[in-house]
Amino acid sequence: MKLIKKISLVVASIAAIGAFSNASADKLDDVIKRGTLNCGVVLDFPPMGYTDKDNKPAGFDVDYCNDLAAVLGVKSEVINLTWGDRIPSLISAKTDVVVGSTSDTLARAKSVGFTYPYFVFKFQVLSKKGVRMASFDDLKDVKVGAALGTTYETEYFKYADSKGWGRDNYTSFKSENDAFLGLYQGKIDALISTNTNIATKLTSGQFDGFVAGPYVPNYDDVVGLIAKRDELAWIKYLNLFLVHQIRDGRLNELHMKHFGTAVSPDMVQSLRDNK
Amino acid sequence: MNNYEFHWNVVFDAFPQLLSGAFTTVHVSVLSMLVGIVIAVLLALGKLSNNKVFYHFANIWIEIARNTPALFLIYMAYFGLGAYGIHLSPYLAVFSALVFINAGYLAETFRGGFQSIPTTQYSAAKSLGMNNIKVYRYVILPQMFRRIYHPMTNQFVWSILMSSLGILVGMNELSGETQRLQSTSFRTLEFFMVAAAMYFVITKLVLFTSSLIAKKVFKGELS
Repeated sequence: MKLIKKISLVVASIAAIGAFSNASADKLDDVIKRGTLNCGVVLDFPPMGYTDKDNKPAGFDVDYCNDLAAVLGVKSEVINLTWGDRIPSLISAKTDVVVGSTSDTLARAKSVGFTYPYFVFKFQVLSKKGVRMASFDDLKDVKVGAALGTTYETEYFKYADSKGWGRDNYTSFKSENDAFLGLYQGKIDALISTNTNIATKLTSGQFDGFVAGPYVPNYDDVVGLIAKRDELAWIKYLNLFLVHQIRDGRLNELHMKHFGTAVSPDMVQSLRDNK
Repeated sequence: MNNYEFHWNVVFDAFPQLLSGAFTTVHVSVLSMLVGIVIAVLLALGKLSNNKVFYHFANIWIEIARNTPALFLIYMAYFGLGAYGIHLSPYLAVFSALVFINAGYLAETFRGGFQSIPTTQYSAAKSLGMNNIKVYRYVILPQMFRRIYHPMTNQFVWSILMSSLGILVGMNELSGETQRLQSTSFRTLEFFMVAAAMYFVITKLVLFTSSLIAKKVFKGELS
């Protein structure tokens, strides 16, 4: 009897230790132990994410991944995602964090954990030269498109619905690149994307027959990093990382590198205020 | 994954949009199947024909349709033609690509069906004074369709499932709607699971309906 008691006590304590150590290991420990950070980036969204001439991942978001891996002391593994892959990649643990210009809507925050904001975009119209585009309301009379499932698509729908435009003039595209291809081919007269992406496309010289137009009225696209919602310690670490990127001047450096200008004081203030 | 909480109410609220997507899916796949069947009969006859032009035309169509991915054909119908200034709507692009594929695959099935009917029947019908059109209308086609009914339904199922590639060109069918809804709510697993279930139901319903029609047309005789 004594022996059985002893054995069961040993078994129980081993099980307890196992359970305890399982519970305490979180994502932050996992990443450090593993020695690699699996960082998801959308690589068809220049200059935030793209592939350079050697077919290597590059861009603002990729640099953020590399900076994060560097402070963690691990190898950075950039994983290419489409907009739609962002959440499945987190849930299936293929990525630890997604640096993917994810708009921090409250609907999405019910499903996924957001960090503090790390960038602020404006949504803008790019249209063919000669198409009248003095204000956002001019979209009413032209064929317009955007990438499927993006926040600018949602914002356009909201605006169009409030004005009673209907959706017959609207075409959605599978990806950001397809939307630009559609505009280029003349399937649509105007598209909506972020000011940053449009500026990059215009400087590339491929879109000489097109002009950047009005912004989506009264809307700032505030984006954060995303991770699994229950990884609180991990999200806290990511928050501190973002604070340091601003404080240490790294945000400004990368803004200079990818956009050619210093980061605007407004944006820094927005990020500092977390709004 | 182990601690994922399912939020089904989000899907429930979006059900009308999913249904409208499902309707487009049924619409495009049924229509492309019907048009595909008509063209496939002509292609199958072309493959059996002695006329070189007719034969080669049918052969090239069938070879391209059977040996290239649907994804590629849909993309070409939309962006490929777009490069030459021909702009099909997303619906039309998916529809024409599916017709092309359905016709190509079914043509081979139909050819087998035609060849399974003894040529003596053709001669016998001719000797009764029927012209070519009547021979096919009253003797050959009714038997052929009975024999290839089951392989034909396979293509029907494929047609429904392939229409999900409409998402590539921004068509608002079931997959496109699912993709949009999951990206605004980020309830990816819920929406994809419901969409999969809806595809299952659509396929079963379409097969059931077509078997009802077939029983009526073939008077219960399916081989």
